[in-house]
Order: sequence, then structure tokens, then C-alpha cells
Amino acid sequence: MKIAVCVKQVPDSETRINLAAPAAKLDQTGFTRVLNPYDAYAVEEAVRIKEARGGEITAITVGPVTVKETLKKDCLAVGCDKAIIVDDPLLAGADEAAIAEVLCAVLKREAYDLILFGIKAIDDDSGQIGILVAEKLGLPHVSTITKLELGEGSLTAHREIEGGREIVDCPLPAVLTCQKGLNEPRLPSLPNIMKAGMKPMQIVTCADLGVAPPASLVEIRQYSPPPARGACRLITADDAAAAARELARVLNEEAKVI
Amino acid sequence: MPNIAVFIEQRDGAFKKVAWQMISQARKLADANGGEVWGVLLGGDAAAAAALAGKHGAHRLFAAADGLERYDSERYGTALAAFCRAQNPDLVLIGATAMGRDLGPTAAAKLGCACVSDAIGLKFEGGAWEVRRPVFAGKCFVDVVPKTAPAIVAIRPNAFMAADGGGAAAPLASFDAGQAQAAPKAVVREIVSADGGRVELTEADIVVSGGRGIKGPENYALIEDLAAALNAAAGASRAVVDAGWVDYSHQVGQTGKTVGPNLYIACGISGAIQHLAGMSSSKCIVAINKDAAAPIFKVADYGLVGDLFEVLPELTKAVRGIRG
Repeated sequence: MKIAVCVKQVPDSETRINLAAPAAKLDQTGFTRVLNPYDAYAVEEAVRIKEARGGEITAITVGPVTVKETLKKDCLAVGCDKAIIVDDPLLAGADEAAIAEVLCAVLKREAYDLILFGIKAIDDDSGQIGILVAEKLGLPHVSTITKLELGEGSLTAHREIEGGREIVDCPLPAVLTCQKGLNEPRLPSLPNIMKAGMKPMQIVTCADLGVAPPASLVEIRQYSPPPARGACRLITADDAAAAARELARVLNEEAKVI
Repeated sequence: MPNIAVFIEQRDGAFKKVAWQMISQARKLADANGGEVWGVLLGGDAAAAAALAGKHGAHRLFAAADGLERYDSERYGTALAAFCRAQNPDLVLIGATAMGRDLGPTAAAKLGCACVSDAIGLKFEGGAWEVRRPVFAGKCFVDVVPKTAPAIVAIRPNAFMAADGGGAAAPLASFDAGQAQAAPKAVVREIVSADGGRVELTEADIVVSGGRGIKGPENYALIEDLAAALNAAAGASRAVVDAGWVDYSHQVGQTGKTVGPNLYIACGISGAIQHLAGMSSSKCIVAINKDAAAPIFKVADYGLVGDLFEVLPELTKAVRGIRG
């Protein structure tokens, strides 16, 4: 089994975005950067497949080389065999379509049976790249999977939908995007983090891949802080029951939301 | 003429209400900027969709049904791309639902066009569309301009209000959905319902969520009872999900669902930034927590400092009284 896992480094979910006024760019200096949490499910699933059937896992990312530590600790140290980083200043500000194009250029260099993604990255919350890559490579995809069973040359995946799930049969090779619930990602052990430093990590540019930096189809105009919320009105009463009744009354008569 | 196509999502004949929200908003934009609003229906009952689409402001409804009864990305993606090639809409709106989040990028890749996810605002200015969407799960907004026509934009449910303009049924037109009848590679073998009748988090008008303050899985029933009384969806904080008290499909937050209901009631939730990210676009926020210093009160419109074990049963009772 040759498996590719496409990952992204993102600011930690506890990160505060300090943006007082609209700005053309978002200042991301000083953010703590981690592996995108959804990508951890993709990495873990790949490792479990490798443990069960053997094979090789390549972790692939597009981003500055500052991603190295994350790749080492959260991908190579938990079972990925090698990593490829596309680091190219010409890709600064690239949109989903452009990043997908670059990933395709990397993925085309080898014949992967399975290409895994997280459902979305928690910074731009876009959730498109895995699906775009599948379409551009002409491969079938199943998105938002919470369960995976591999057969011979095929797979069955459970895809989360509102109020239930679809059970999807799909031939290999295929692209999957992984949702929370698929597995419980393991933590890297210290010895494995040490050993991960020995695993190959290749850093390439678009030129190395033989592609021109793809054009973005979406232009970013500005970032702005979300609208400020008004002050909180505290509901008080003699006891909990009276306070609960007063809250219900206020929500019904004043806020008119129930 | 900036014609706007709106994808009308149906599953087993039931329409998603985000379609009517999008058509209503699209009609406002069309009235201001010229152009028409077109409903696009794949599978389902075209006559029923035409009536509802017309009522909310659509000028026409395009429908195709062959091989499209049940969603799969390949057939629907092919059909939507074929529609766009034939009719050349300027903008295609799709609900940011499980189906829409899958269909949008699939069709966009086929068309080589721009795709914007999970939008909450839409403007037409100087001949271009400007789309507003939350990033970092709502910690900030970004305004983007798609550079292609069509552009596909997924709209978050409840971002726009449905408006019944009282219009007549939209005239029906069929279209050639291309190779949509061909057998897909990835086949949806079966659809399994989680538990019947549950209100879905991302499209609920009201969400009631429980956090660590519920102390154990057995007390989640307090959340579900209030949710049932309000016909609301039941949510949870990451702490509750990670403790295994409820299924992850209930999780609201940066690593769970992002919701924007009319009313969000946070019970025993302290308000960690990762949770706030998933619900801060809610129109009205109520916090019930015994710790008056909990950060959740900073984003709440109404706060009740108290023991949720005492407050929630009474609140449920009071709500039942109001809603009969």
C-alpha cells in the first residue's frame, strides 16, 4: 500500500486573533503552530493501514520550511516514512485551487493507492483541497469519513451527513478526507521523535516539480474583526426557579427568540 | 447580467431550507443589480420545488432527474457543471451542508472556476462579487473576490433569512445533465440515520449545548430535554465529547461544528476560545453557568449565574409553558 497524507500546519485552536480594524493582511507572527487537528486523523488512519497491511506513507505539505518540526513530531515520529515540503515564496497567498494544483504535481510523481486529507484546516476553514485534488487527478473521493474498511482494490467508507451517514463503496486509488471520530490519533514517543530525524525529508519548489506557480482564482480583499457583541444582561431572581422563569420570559417577550 | 443560480438540495424529496434562504437573498441582489435568480434541482419533485422557489423569488427553475435521485459527488458534480456550461450563471450558490461542501469543490474543479466555502455575506460591487466568510472558525472575517464566472459560493445555513415574497411557481425548464447517468466510481450503497427526528446542529434555529458543568453523561438528558422543548439541536463542548459523554457529532467549536442559530444556550460551558469560535456568530447567546467569571458571559447577550441542575429543569418547564 502506498499512501500519501497531505497535511497543513495551522495556528493552535487556542490562538487569539488580534485584529482591531480591517486589514489587508493578517499578522500571524507569534502564533503557536501545530499539525491541523483533522490531519492527525488522516495520519493515524494511514499508520493503522500500514501496520495492518504493510506499505509506505509519504506526508506532503505546502508551506514554509518552519513546518519541519511539526512534520517530524506529528507525522514521521508516529509512523510516516518520509516527508515532502513544497516551499516556494511564489506560493504566498495561494488559494485552494492553486495549492491543490501544486499538491497534484507532487502526487503525480508516484502512484499512490490512497491519498488522505483532513476534512479541513482550522485556519481558513475551507475544506476544499482534498476534493479538488481528487477531481484534478481524476480519482474518486469520499469526504468527511468517520469509518474506513479496506478491501482488495476497494474500500468502504462511512461519510458523515446531517443526522446520519452514507456508506460508500469506492475503488482504489481514491482520495479520502478524514473527520473526527475516525480514530484516536496516537502521541509520538520521545525515542520515535529522535529517530524521526533520520527519516528523509525533501524540500522542493514549484520549479523542482516542473510546474509554474498556479494562479489563484480567489483574491483576498481584507480581513476584519467580527462585530462586537453588546454587554451581557444578567438575569437575577430570588431562587433558581424564579430566575429560570424570568429567563424564559425575557427570551420570549423581549428577545423574541423562543 | 449577473444571473444567480441557486442549488436546491433535496434528500428523499425533502428540501433543505438553506435553499430558500439563498434564493431570498439572491432575489434582493438581482433586484438591485439586474439579472435573474434560477433554482437548480437535481432529482426530487420539480413541481414542489418550483412552487417554493417561486414563492421565495426565483425567476426560473431548472431541473434534471435522470440518475440523480440520490446524491453522489460524481453524478451531481457532472450535472451541475453541465448546467453551468449551458446556462452560464455568474454565480452559483450552494448550501454549506454535508452535500454542498462536497459538491461545490467537485463542480468547481470540473469547471476550473473559483469556489468559496462557508460564506455568510454577499455583495455585488463594481461588477464583482465580494464574499464574506469567517476564518479561524469565526475569530475573524475575510472578504474575498472570486475571479471567475461562474464562481461557486457555499452559503452557511441561517446566514440569510428566507423571505416569502408570495411569488407564483417558478416556470420549469429541464436541462441536459451531461454524463450524469453514467455509473459513478464511488457508490453510495446505503444511508443510515443516526437517530430519527434529531434536529441537526448546523441548520437548527436554536441550539442548546452542555459543557463540563453537566458533570457526567447521565446528565446530558437535561440538555436534551430543554432542546426537545425548544425543538432545538443538542450540542456539546469539546470537553464533553473528548470525555466520551456524547458522540463527536454533537461537538460545537473550532474542531467541531460551527453554528450560527437564532438562539444558542450554553449550559455549564466556561467558554474556551476554541468553543467560542464555533458559536460566536449566533444571533442571541444565553449563558447558564455557576461561575460568574466564566468567559462565556463575555460573549453572551443574557446570562444566568446559577446551578444548571436547578435551573435547567425549571427552564424546560417554563419553555413548555410558553410554547404549549
